Amino acid sequence: MSTLHVLSHSPFGDNRLASCLRLLGNQDALLLCGDATYALQPGSPPFEVLQAAGVNLFVLAEDLQARALDTPDWAEAINYSGFVELSIEHDKVNTWL
Amino acid sequence: MAKSLLLISRQAPWSGPGAREALDIVLAGGAFDLPIGLLFLDDGVFQLTSGQNAKAVQQKDLSANLQALPMFGVEDLFLCAASAAERGIATDALALGEVKVLTAPDIAALIDRYDQVITL
Amino acid sequence: MAAVLLIGSVMKFAIALFSAAHAPSSRRALLFAQAALASGHEIVRLFFYQDGVYNAASSVVTPQDEQDLPQQWRAFVSDNRLDGVVCIAAALRRGVLNDEEAQRYQRSAVSVEAPWALSGLGQLHDAIQDADRLICFGGA
Repeated sequence: MSTLHVLSHSPFGDNRLASCLRLLGNQDALLLCGDATYALQPGSPPFEVLQAAGVNLFVLAEDLQARALDTPDWAEAINYSGFVELSIEHDKVNTWL
Repeated sequence: MAKSLLLISRQAPWSGPGAREALDIVLAGGAFDLPIGLLFLDDGVFQLTSGQNAKAVQQKDLSANLQALPMFGVEDLFLCAASAAERGIATDALALGEVKVLTAPDIAALIDRYDQVITL
Repeated sequence: MAAVLLIGSVMKFAIALFSAAHAPSSRRALLFAQAALASGHEIVRLFFYQDGVYNAASSVVTPQDEQDLPQQWRAFVSDNRLDGVVCIAAALRRGVLNDEEAQRYQRSAVSVEAPWALSGLGQLHDAIQDADRLICFGGA
């Protein structure tokens, strides 16, 4: 059983990322989109937490591009058809609304 | 067999319509005899504190709806231990009885057990 | 169920939207929905809840230099003959009414028209039971 968790809020001043990481299962994946991609701001605490967490990390490419952020080598940038595929590969999708 | 749904309620009772609208999804599901679970996480745990007075801020009292859950066949109620601890809430003094207190690994396992999940 | 059995199969999606047209998640929901159909999958229902009901409001006037999400959602639902349902309770409290409700409550503004239908949360549950995957969009 695995869940794709989706985050779209900025990790700064919001606790969704921290709460999500606490209950992420080993087989689960995490997709960052929208302002959640600010977590990949190099040198920031969320960046370091994600790097150390070793989770299956995906990020929506258009949001990185918009924010002039790079994909670290421990994450995979995807487009919308990749998003659709990811949602099928996992048993369910949990969007942190 | 009906698919089961876990509602994860993360909003405080009067932070906006979130808490009430999450509960409406649960009650509707219960009314249709669907297998529904409800987990209180993060600020959602504030929905369960005792002695609340919604009228003081001219809001609806959610606790009546929460008490009604078993009547709608919704008995699988859960609370995140860490969320309660972080907010200074004692899990033995909640306004709702029969809420199972879960650790983070329990919650990961809980999510796995349900067919679908909505985190509101 | 092993993922390998599912890739290549037609999947049925239920898509629920909780945020208004100006939220980035509304655009993201539309792009996901389009990608799902483009990949050969089905959408059993689009369900608008909470502020998502605003996406169905025909009274929204978008500035000319911005993306008109309500119009794009309308076109997407009509062109693909999808079932677009707006939660009636959420819509009423946000002033998004169809003709019937406007008459019932004696309000002058009608902002829900075809292809949208106002209905209850039962339709969300129904879609969840029918679909292989439920995807929610909202928040930011």
